[in-house]
Amino acid sequence: MTTFFDQVKEMGLKQAAIAKVDEAAERITAGMNVGDIRSALRGDEPRRPNPRLRPHADSFWFHIRPSFYHTEVTHIYPTFRLGWLSTFMFVWETITGIILMVFYTPSPSAAYSNMWNILSNVPLGQLFRNMHRIGAEVMVLVVALHMLRTFITGSYKKPRQFTWATGMILLVLTLLLSFSGYLLPWDQLAYWALTVFLSGAEAAPAPAAVNSNILLILQGAPSLGAGGLLRWYLFHVLLMPLILGIFFFVHYYKVVLHGFSLPPGREEIGEDTAKRVPRTERTYFMPDIFTSELMWTAVTTLLLVAGALWFWDAPLEHHADPIVTPLHVVAPWYLSWSQGWLKLADKTLVVGFIPLLMVSFIVMPYFEVGKSRRYADRRLGLSVAFLFMAVMFISNWMGSPEYRVEGSPEMEVIQEILPGEGAGTMLAVPYEYLTPGTYSPGQEIPGNPYLTRALEEYQAAMGRHSCTLQGNPELDKCKSEGTGRYSNNSRNTAMLDPISTLTIEEIQPNLSTLTLRFEATGVDLDWTSWRHADSNYEEECRFVNKDC
Amino acid sequence: MQVKVVIGTIAFMLTMIILGFAALREPARLEEFTLAYEGRSIENGARLFQNNCATCHGVNGKAEECYDSAGNVVGCKGLPLNTASLLCGDKPSRMVTLGWEGTKGNFVQNTIAAGRVGTVMPTWSAQFGGPMRDDQVGDVAAFVLNWESDAMCGVEAVVFEWPDSVDDFLADYAGDAANGEGLFLTYACSGCHGDLGTAGSNAVGPWLGEIAVIGGDRIAGTSAAQYVYESILHPNDFIAPDCPNGPCLSPSAMPPNFAERMSANPQDLADILSLLLGE
Repeated sequence: MTTFFDQVKEMGLKQAAIAKVDEAAERITAGMNVGDIRSALRGDEPRRPNPRLRPHADSFWFHIRPSFYHTEVTHIYPTFRLGWLSTFMFVWETITGIILMVFYTPSPSAAYSNMWNILSNVPLGQLFRNMHRIGAEVMVLVVALHMLRTFITGSYKKPRQFTWATGMILLVLTLLLSFSGYLLPWDQLAYWALTVFLSGAEAAPAPAAVNSNILLILQGAPSLGAGGLLRWYLFHVLLMPLILGIFFFVHYYKVVLHGFSLPPGREEIGEDTAKRVPRTERTYFMPDIFTSELMWTAVTTLLLVAGALWFWDAPLEHHADPIVTPLHVVAPWYLSWSQGWLKLADKTLVVGFIPLLMVSFIVMPYFEVGKSRRYADRRLGLSVAFLFMAVMFISNWMGSPEYRVEGSPEMEVIQEILPGEGAGTMLAVPYEYLTPGTYSPGQEIPGNPYLTRALEEYQAAMGRHSCTLQGNPELDKCKSEGTGRYSNNSRNTAMLDPISTLTIEEIQPNLSTLTLRFEATGVDLDWTSWRHADSNYEEECRFVNKDC
Repeated sequence: MQVKVVIGTIAFMLTMIILGFAALREPARLEEFTLAYEGRSIENGARLFQNNCATCHGVNGKAEECYDSAGNVVGCKGLPLNTASLLCGDKPSRMVTLGWEGTKGNFVQNTIAAGRVGTVMPTWSAQFGGPMRDDQVGDVAAFVLNWESDAMCGVEAVVFEWPDSVDDFLADYAGDAANGEGLFLTYACSGCHGDLGTAGSNAVGPWLGEIAVIGGDRIAGTSAAQYVYESILHPNDFIAPDCPNGPCLSPSAMPPNFAERMSANPQDLADILSLLLGE
């Protein structure tokens, strides 16, 4: 055993240093020295024996990856990289989530102010919160698309039934992970979304004793409070990631075991040749797949960072308040279909149907045993799939605010322009343009484009919810058949002959009240919101996912 | 593969540039959000104040304009909050009177949270059995402190030299009982002492409907007028024996700052004296 010092004496400093670096590289990569890495990057043929296979034999991280893929599955089609992307998103959520955990206490007295601390006191805190939140939604989307792709290319068929079953469980866990994170900011959005979810759990088709105990387990107390928050926090950061991790490794083990299924047209019917890859059709993991994955990591990171910084912003409403229910509580978009179903059928029926649907998805490949994966042979299966998707899209739309149970007309106007939660049109007017005074809908304020625009929106909202407002283009139709309020069940409740004004008054230095006054037949309401000069609601309206 | 290396490298570099850009902008953004947090706290406090505090402290915090739940005008039971004696300077006079050693913010927050013993001010914090969470108490305190303005605090406080004898005082200021009736409401006297016409309507302090008769008996050698005059200006000098729940507390629950509040308008005291003494 020669020491570095001996080597220097023998070969000179430069050569000895190069040899040392080579040795270090070989240790780190578990088998490839600097020369091998450079030749791989240049695209040269590997030397014999192939050093690029050694990491798969000797290192932990690469031993779980196949050493080569069938060239046919390395293109965008048929995988669309969706499985890889799901894994990437899980890692992404773990990293951003751990950083957020540092600044978070799962207690009702601290959680909400922790959110503001992250926004106002932690460098890059808002970016990390946005990245975590946008990541959660992207992950749901990616995992769902991954499932859809697997169905369409018939990759769930024998021998991959179990891979499909674990994948379905991973989809459910992804939804639960995303949703359980919803509660943690402890704002109104979080509190009421979870309250709706828990009332669903309470309605499960089981004896009342079982239901009340399910509820007790899920929230730790008869109502949602400190115990519930702590439990959902632990579900979110510990239990579900752990279960998801276990199922992920089983899932991936099965993927590697059976090989990536080839495009359906590439195989004889009933054959599975994924594991029999001719030498000429191999794409080696080192360096091609690895480089490709590094590239996708860089590109996805870029897209997520840019999205979180400029295009998308995680919401934060008022502190959770069990006494005040905001108008139009909506589920997150990926659960909107369930809210749509709740409008169609009895709660117990819906809550019972969803697990039934999941189980039937999980066991589907064991019953659907048609041998062919080719599209032309699976007309019925694919038609059912597209029909199901159509149903889901319609259900999602039915769950959205477009298809909601309508509130009273004046409350709907308030919700559109000066809502209790979120910025809204009126609060988004910069403070210096909120000139004190009393204004009517549609009034034009010279030299004040912001307030003028808000008053235009005011007029439009009044037009949608009342009949005889001046300038309502649908006036005659409205008088004969009620307004075109878009709910289907309350067309004739529009305000008749409303008088409505907006009053702006400065009540303290830098603090104004915005009061909407409604007078109509059966309506007499003052609705006040407060606006401080520094509250910066206009900031909230710069993002594509905010409606101001 | 070379293309992938290039794309990946460019994407990585762009990410780093974006993060660098975000980091450069960060101090300004943090400042903006700190202000926004404070601003929204004041907004929340304003809503809470309107729903909970305005009944006693008045809609603009001056204890001048109070309504009951049906919308009728009632006498304000609380002290004015929108006033220089609470808000101006690091040590406003009300803190000095009560011997409070902490900050102004703590003083207001503590008073809201724990109430004030011996007065009708209840506890508001859930910690002490009230209805508000601690963040809400903080919000209300932020709203109250936001009344501080240069217009209010820039003005030099008027200090009126109150004569020792009520006769000397009334020689300069003739009282008007009719005006005194309104002042009895706006200075929130009725909040504690009740309606002068109805015996037993007093909630905290003694009923004053007969003070013109019994006032002269309280301290030997002191007329009713002198007694009432001194009791308003210096409530702790003599503690009345006839509060609704037995003898009045010492120190008195009566705010000791009327001498200061009436300095700008000594006529107000003359009018109230005239109302109480029926002269």
